[in-house]
Amino acid sequence: MRLPNHLRLSIFSAVAAIAMLAPANAQNQAYKPPRTADGKPNLNGIWQAMNTANWDVEGHSAQAGQVVSLGATGAEPPGIGVVEGGEIPYLPAALAKKKENYANRLKLDPEVKCYLPGVPRATYMPYPFQIVQSGKFILTSYEYDGAVRTIYMDNPGPAPVDSWMGWSAGHWEGDTLVVDVTGLNDQTWFDRAGDYHSDALHVVERYTLASANVLNYEATIEDPQVFSRPWKISMPLYRHVEKNAQLLEFKCVEFVEELIYGHLRKQPSK
Amino acid sequence: MRLRAMATLGALFVPVYLTGQGLPVAAKAATSTSKSWTPSRTADGQPDLEGVWTNSTLTPLERPAEFAGKEFLTEQESADYVKRLLQQVNTDRRDGGAQVDVGRSYNEFWRDRGNNVIADRRTSLIIDPPDGRVPPLTPEAQKRVEAARAYMRDHATDGPEGRSLAERCIAWATAGPPMLPGPYNNDIQIVQTREQVVILNEMIHDARLIPLDGRPHVSPDIRQLLGDSRGHWDGNTLVVDTTNFNGENSFRGSDANLHLTERFTRVSPNLIQYEFTADDPTAFTRAWSARIPLNKTPDRVYEYACHEGNYALTDILAGARAAETKK
Repeated sequence: MRLPNHLRLSIFSAVAAIAMLAPANAQNQAYKPPRTADGKPNLNGIWQAMNTANWDVEGHSAQAGQVVSLGATGAEPPGIGVVEGGEIPYLPAALAKKKENYANRLKLDPEVKCYLPGVPRATYMPYPFQIVQSGKFILTSYEYDGAVRTIYMDNPGPAPVDSWMGWSAGHWEGDTLVVDVTGLNDQTWFDRAGDYHSDALHVVERYTLASANVLNYEATIEDPQVFSRPWKISMPLYRHVEKNAQLLEFKCVEFVEELIYGHLRKQPSK
Repeated sequence: MRLRAMATLGALFVPVYLTGQGLPVAAKAATSTSKSWTPSRTADGQPDLEGVWTNSTLTPLERPAEFAGKEFLTEQESADYVKRLLQQVNTDRRDGGAQVDVGRSYNEFWRDRGNNVIADRRTSLIIDPPDGRVPPLTPEAQKRVEAARAYMRDHATDGPEGRSLAERCIAWATAGPPMLPGPYNNDIQIVQTREQVVILNEMIHDARLIPLDGRPHVSPDIRQLLGDSRGHWDGNTLVVDTTNFNGENSFRGSDANLHLTERFTRVSPNLIQYEFTADDPTAFTRAWSARIPLNKTPDRVYEYACHEGNYALTDILAGARAAETKK
């Protein structure tokens, strides 16, 4: 069919425009995020996961809590899970240890003692966190325990020493912030269900704005001492849009003193 | 690397630190300032305060009695003073006998006090009142402070409450706000955006988030160890206003009514002048102010996992219980 030139041009433009607006694969690639003054996607804001991954990153049913007196307020909520493929690929011996952790979780979960949560757990704890993004640093400040990370955007070299929150080196891949986290110690867990790792843990996080108020989060987890292959979690994080939202202090150290030191108190003399 | 080592050792050394709380501490000589220097700007157009800074200095917060009435030292006096101080505080000395050696076991390896006084040779960090001393407490505050001291003295090993907040890894006296030089880990990192400034203090991984958007303080019902901070730009100076303290982290006798104003002015590539005014009508008989140089450092801020490594508090209490059974 032969069309007049001006019509052919319009059809071509329309097709081109649609192609530009809707790249074939990921939905989030269509979103053009607002930029910081230095031209990077602007991730500044207060974010929070809306799931129960902190109870168990794998899919799980609701169940009674560990502390009888807490009743329904202490019960464990259900969740569809955030692990891609459903299950964490534990090595056989590691799976046995996970089960042991689970059985003793009230005693062993580092969160119970208000210890720093590590990565990626800090991201999906039931507390907000704030991203403060400048050119040289991206600082993530977590309400839980006042935990904090500096993501160095200037290649800080290898981790100088293992730590609870690790050593974070960031770079941009297109509109995605990619953070390589090493130098993590073996003291943190992934959740309250005893999912754990060794100090060989290596986490690669990917933060991509999917819309104005949704930040997609992915973490690839690698630890050959505990897992048979790398595995991945993913979830959306939601922006706190309420006016004057801010992080408040949750310095929980004081709240666990009785738990940790109570047995060492002076007893009244008889 | 010594700071890196400390980050993992955490609170193991806390109690010894406390005995050194009054030690004069600190810094590389402050870079001399030039009035004509214009601060560089961030991509957002604000004066650029970003980077890692240290407030280490040998100059004490309060003017020592020996310099009463003397606001500044001459160059010669200052050189003599620095030499004498460095000799006095040197914990590597082994000239005091076994008992003194034990006290010095927290030795120079750990110290981060710098090796000089502040550049203008003022004899105190306090610039107002003119005598360079923290003003007297009100009679009520005096009673409160004495009662708290008496409790700590009489119940020192009964339970965690008998120890300081620092030993309990709840808050660090010199991390503030206001921020003062301490015996070690005097580094802070400032991260800045158009809407927000963060001051990350290495002690004890405290990140103070300071909104710049003019919002009001949170409700007076909300009380926090570090208070609630709001910032704004006054020309090239970042002004931070902090209220809503809970009074637990008492600063030189302050209570929950402390109103703190801090001013950060970058006066040269390597120097931020940091000033604070502490106003608390139920604690101090007048407001008072101090000025402390923040010198640029190429170092990084590392993780100080205090609570996670706090074997000391367990050992102090367990030791006291063991001693009781031996009586």
